[in-house]
Amino acid sequence: MTESLDAIPDTFVSVDRAEGAVSFVVDESVYPLDAIYGATFTFLDRCFVFLGRGEPGQVVITLSAKKPPVEDDELRGWIGELANELLACAWRGRILEQNRATIEAVTMQAIGGAMGPPSLDELEDFDFSEEPFDDPLGIAMSWEEKYGKKEKKGESADDSGEENA
Amino acid sequence: MNLPIFHDVSLEALDARQPAFFRFRQLPMAPDKVVLSNLEGRWLVLDKADFQTFARGEVEEGSELFTKLRQRNFLRAYYDVPAAAEMIRARREFVGAGPNLHIMVITLRCNTTCVYCHASRANMDQVQTDMTKEIAEQSVDFILQSTNPAVTIEFQGGEPLVRFDLLQHVVEYAHEKNEVAQKELDFTLVTNLSLMDEKKLDWLIENRVQICTSIDGPQDVHDKQRKLPKASAHGEAIKWMKRIDERYREMGLDETLYHVEALVTTTRPILDRWKELVDLYVDLGCRALFLRPLDPFGWAEKTARLIEYPRAEYIEYYRNAVDYMIELNKQGVEILERYAAIFLTKILSGVDPNFLDIRQPSGAGIGQLAYSYDGTIFTCDEGRMLHESGDDTFAIGHVGTSKYRDVVGHETVRAVVVAGQLEGQADCVNCPYVPYCGIPPVHSHRIQGSLLGRMRESSLCQVHKGIQDYLFEKLATGDEETLQILEKWTTIRPRDHFVHVPAGAE
Ligand code: SF4
Ligand code: SF4
Repeated sequence: MTESLDAIPDTFVSVDRAEGAVSFVVDESVYPLDAIYGATFTFLDRCFVFLGRGEPGQVVITLSAKKPPVEDDELRGWIGELANELLACAWRGRILEQNRATIEAVTMQAIGGAMGPPSLDELEDFDFSEEPFDDPLGIAMSWEEKYGKKEKKGESADDSGEENA
Repeated sequence: MNLPIFHDVSLEALDARQPAFFRFRQLPMAPDKVVLSNLEGRWLVLDKADFQTFARGEVEEGSELFTKLRQRNFLRAYYDVPAAAEMIRARREFVGAGPNLHIMVITLRCNTTCVYCHASRANMDQVQTDMTKEIAEQSVDFILQSTNPAVTIEFQGGEPLVRFDLLQHVVEYAHEKNEVAQKELDFTLVTNLSLMDEKKLDWLIENRVQICTSIDGPQDVHDKQRKLPKASAHGEAIKWMKRIDERYREMGLDETLYHVEALVTTTRPILDRWKELVDLYVDLGCRALFLRPLDPFGWAEKTARLIEYPRAEYIEYYRNAVDYMIELNKQGVEILERYAAIFLTKILSGVDPNFLDIRQPSGAGIGQLAYSYDGTIFTCDEGRMLHESGDDTFAIGHVGTSKYRDVVGHETVRAVVVAGQLEGQADCVNCPYVPYCGIPPVHSHRIQGSLLGRMRESSLCQVHKGIQDYLFEKLATGDEETLQILEKWTTIRPRDHFVHVPAGAE
């Protein structure tokens, strides 16, 4: 049964007291999907989290008690915190985009400084023959490499000289 | 006209009065004042009218305000990029130094029962929470792999004096292994002092182990929340503090620098007894008082009903206590507040005192590591406290099986380092205190369920903001003597006596 909660606008929020669940309809043009994932993830230790489709362009988040019933105060707390965390995640995402270079530089220096250079033993364990990364789907391959299209004469890449020599 | 940075841009194109990037905040308790800081952490406190003129880009060229703004790098046309870059670098000097603080929990057992015990201590019969000799040695071997040339081993608990034999072994073993590692070593014992005796003290003094304790206020407050069976926890702690200080004096150590460090955990009953608290610390010969609020770890969660308080009340207590400390300083009494000293050092001198919990990134994993009695390694002391409450988020390895580089390069450490940079935080990006601030992600994780947290609702942000509001208010409105006292609080005097320089380096 759909009910409402005091002080929470029912335009977005509906409550099912019997199930100990509260649902929030999120407009995807307001909150990016990353923010929805980030915000809902912080609830995993408190309740079960369900994500689903609503109307086109909407995501429905349902937070459901692990052990119902729960008090209205708790449901109100969940939904209020979810709304705040959604906003924090959405805005943080934009800020991180803008400050990514600084944050990455500091992180690399901090971790690199704490780790120090690898020891000789560690270098011995290192497999230098390994490809830089696995690419089983061939995503990083050129179209020609992947589908074996023959190069036309005179179109070879600059670094292909060794093979030709 | 001389354009130091934008050599190829003329002043017609760039109005000399336009502001460079800045953040601002109106001081809540002095609303006619506005704090502004720039990217590199230079700051000014302006009257509201001056601030409005500045923000509109209408400051008269050549005026006193214009000169001040130009000197502090607040004008776009004169913005000195190399100077700003150098200042940002100086503020982050510590980044890349590697873990310096290593917290060893040699036992979780303790003979005292504190209402808030953040460590969730074990009963005295739970000997299974003692570290074995083997794990203690593996911990030291691990610690000495740190890339930091200086290493502090801090004994925590439980009560480390319960296993004094193991503490002695760790110190001796560390010295032995340090003949190869060649680190600058020091040792700190965090103890309630109730198991101290003359023999142990002789050994600690001889081996230059620094001693810290807790004093939560006058006897009635302290004993009510720190219960020692059949004795007064307060009485025992004070008795030994005096005795240890006496020993330092007998050795000819400078008593203004060498004495037992005491920490207060602020609980509700002490909030309106700030004057008694400050007087007590002064009477004990302490030169510093760290007005720490309650942390949300360990038993503090269960006993919150009795000891917690709204952070606005904490800020009032803080302001009263520090006002009183400033007055005492004016009367010739030397006592400083540690939070104020940390923030003022960053604000006034532009360098970071490297206090691990108020820096960016925070010290977790890259500046400190904690070793539990079973050998599990955590990013920080609070991480191991959470482990005792069933949350293993901050466990990053084991001294018996993990490699040093895997531990400090662990994905949790990387996540914590990213989350600990407030330039990525909503709210902080617009806060003028961001160049001086720091929030440990473990705190946000604990109270808000995410490493990043939401500062607007964070109790720790509220504390840091309130303290910095107070300090900027003092800097803007304090008399000459107050400013000199605050400046003096930024002087860091190292305690060289406790540093063990490796043989050959002396
Ligand atoms: S806070 Fe320290 S002294 Fe108090 S119970 Fe916990 S471990 Fe023991
Ligand atoms: S944590 Fe709070 S006080 Fe600190 S920079 Fe962020 S918003 Fe400002």
